[in-house]
Amino acid sequence: MDNYDPPKSQLSGQIVYNDQPVHVKGTYGAIQLQLYQDGYALKNPISVFVDQNGKFEATLFDGTYKLVTRDKNGPWVNSRDTTIVNVKGNSFVELEVTPYFTISNPTVSLNGAQLTGSCTVDKIVSTANLDFIKLFINGTSFVDENINVLSVSSNALAVGNNTFSLTLNADQQAKLNSLKGVYARIGVKTQGADQAIYSEVFQLK
Amino acid sequence: MSIKKLYLYILAFSLTVLSGCSGFLDREPSRLLTEDQVYSDPNMVLSVLANFYGRVGWGPSITDDYNYIYEDEATPSSGGPDVFTDYWDSFRRVYDYGLIRNINQFIEGLRNSTVIDDNLKKTAEGEARFLRAYTYFYMAKCMGGMPLVGDEVYGYSSGMDVTALQFPRSKESEIYDYVISELDAVAGMLTENTTAHSARVNKWAALALKARAALYAGSIAKYNNLKTPNIVLAGGEVGIPADKADYYYGIALKAAQDVMNSGKYKLQDSNPDKAKNFYSATSVKDNNTEVIWARDYKVPDLTHQFSTRNIPPSLAEDIDRSIITPVLNIVEAFEYTDNRDGVIKIKDDNGNYIFYDQPEDAFKNKDPRLAGSIIYPGGTFKGKRVDLQAGILYLKDGKWEKRIGKPGSYIEGTQEVLTSENGPTTSNEQFINKSGFFFKKFLDETSQSATRGRGSDMWFPYIRYAEVVMIACEASYELNKTDLALGYINQVRERAGIPDLTTITFNDIVRENQVEFAFEGHRWWDLKRWRIAHEVLNGRPLDPTAQQWALMPYHVVDATSPMNGKWVFEKISAPNSPYPRNFQMRNYYNFIDQDWINHNPKLVKNPYQ
Repeated sequence: MDNYDPPKSQLSGQIVYNDQPVHVKGTYGAIQLQLYQDGYALKNPISVFVDQNGKFEATLFDGTYKLVTRDKNGPWVNSRDTTIVNVKGNSFVELEVTPYFTISNPTVSLNGAQLTGSCTVDKIVSTANLDFIKLFINGTSFVDENINVLSVSSNALAVGNNTFSLTLNADQQAKLNSLKGVYARIGVKTQGADQAIYSEVFQLK
Repeated sequence: MSIKKLYLYILAFSLTVLSGCSGFLDREPSRLLTEDQVYSDPNMVLSVLANFYGRVGWGPSITDDYNYIYEDEATPSSGGPDVFTDYWDSFRRVYDYGLIRNINQFIEGLRNSTVIDDNLKKTAEGEARFLRAYTYFYMAKCMGGMPLVGDEVYGYSSGMDVTALQFPRSKESEIYDYVISELDAVAGMLTENTTAHSARVNKWAALALKARAALYAGSIAKYNNLKTPNIVLAGGEVGIPADKADYYYGIALKAAQDVMNSGKYKLQDSNPDKAKNFYSATSVKDNNTEVIWARDYKVPDLTHQFSTRNIPPSLAEDIDRSIITPVLNIVEAFEYTDNRDGVIKIKDDNGNYIFYDQPEDAFKNKDPRLAGSIIYPGGTFKGKRVDLQAGILYLKDGKWEKRIGKPGSYIEGTQEVLTSENGPTTSNEQFINKSGFFFKKFLDETSQSATRGRGSDMWFPYIRYAEVVMIACEASYELNKTDLALGYINQVRERAGIPDLTTITFNDIVRENQVEFAFEGHRWWDLKRWRIAHEVLNGRPLDPTAQQWALMPYHVVDATSPMNGKWVFEKISAPNSPYPRNFQMRNYYNFIDQDWINHNPKLVKNPYQ
């Protein structure tokens, strides 16, 4: 029989860059953080899954933990600096990362068969190169590189202003009409990175 | 019987049974053998070797057929769906230092034996070291560089300093160098002759494995740097410098040519019926000129259930059948002899059905290897036609409607089949096809081989001569010897019965490997070493390659239509594989288990871990 009470303290957190939330892929457990606690026989990290708004949560025992990003995981510079987290009751932590690129001023709209969008892509890490800039559409608010019914590449694959435009063909229109909701967001992937960074999600229908 | 007499009997019984047991506590154990006993008898030596051969059959194979469902070759077909999508961190991971230690004990015992003759000593050590190299190579494919412990058998006694027993991981290049040098040494120790059913390795198996290992090292050196440059460790445990690619490709080409020049094996091409010929080359043991090393089985002592589990229901001999079945993805990878695009034509440009007189007409002019590897709708096995029919098609208000029944059902009051007893269906029925195809490669034609009681003694080839030719092709292609590469790939294509290529690309090599070695356990490792696994198995729903697809044949039954009696096909996402295969960057190398690190803190973790 287990003679411990279950853990009660809630650690919640947000991945940020310059105080802005970093949006990521939320499906397939794509982004994970690791919590380590010293002084116990078991040395396996606790995996903490990050949702598509860059938020995460873990229910823990009170104590001191070390929070790190997973090796080479995420649209940011792979820095495995430890963030010390003191958990006592419910706690909140911001995890600062340095993304390769950021997306600002995203817009997406759908008028009839005309899908348009725009955003500004800024390079944060001077050595980073763009892999893709794409607009993804899906029938639920879970929308990313893998989970989408439609994707459009940016007219230019370059830092700065990017625009998207697509005239939907009959099949695509029928597809979107058949969905209860239509959601979109923009993703930017860096060459060599395992994940893309995303804008917030737009509801188009 | 008087009481007195009974006592006398008991006394006599006691005296005989309970006395005179002076040796009782000193008997030799009958089930444990000492080192001396093992290494003084040639048969004992061979049975230890047989044990090692039995311990290296990792990965998808005819004795681990469920393992076939994880890439783009086959789907579970019996019962309900498998919701698999993500590869777990220890997926297909092999970490077997227990086997390495046992092999080292064997080599030590053999070398110290004064009784075994030198000839057997040499070949048995060669075979053991071959299997040890195979094991290291397998671990390298899973995890990159791993500790190399040499020939020594390490002992532990209570209280000793264990740090001397803790080895750090080698560089990824070092483990390949070790495997290559071991196989070089082994090649000189093994026989040059072929062995019965290729079950024991010879010199040519050693050289072929060396070629394979060098090709893997070369492709990691090239493609890791080209496509996934972030997958490296600072100490070189993962990642091989790009400038070593040519060095390894050169070794691979030379070793493959050594095997080809030996003349001991050739691409089997004895039957003018190319489909039958290909089936014989892979799945018939007798008079086989092609298989270099295989796991062999023998009736009645050592059999397996591959045929029992996977035979079409219409040919089944026991209750099991149709448990794993091939998917459309692999079927469409086979070219047409008159069209390199192997997509099955099911709709015309306007989206209307294409009507075929017979279902097998859709596969007419396919690469004959398809019919040698896979039973398609209207295909044959054991000389019998295998029907696959999902349902019927009829006209209603000028539009085609489908009707589907239970497996083995007929249209009411007629002899007209509604849904075949073989399937395919999309329901959760047990033992019914769900993809439109059955295995043919490795399915045993012998009567009663599909019963639980007898089982099948079909072999499972680990190395075939065709692979040696394809290694030579790929290595020479990567070394920019394009003419040489073309010659090699065309050898394989001519034997298969499809037209020669006049130019060659990387994708031609990828595809030739995919179709030639379907179900032979190559696909996963090929996708990994070429660093295209994350593109092919990209996790996108309804993706042409990451999703598994099925082909559902329908029979047109409508007397009002001129198409009555013809056949059409529908392509659907394979019902028992509802989610796409999602290979992520972290799957290129298995994780190093925390438990191993607890025992050996010198092990460094792998990328993404």
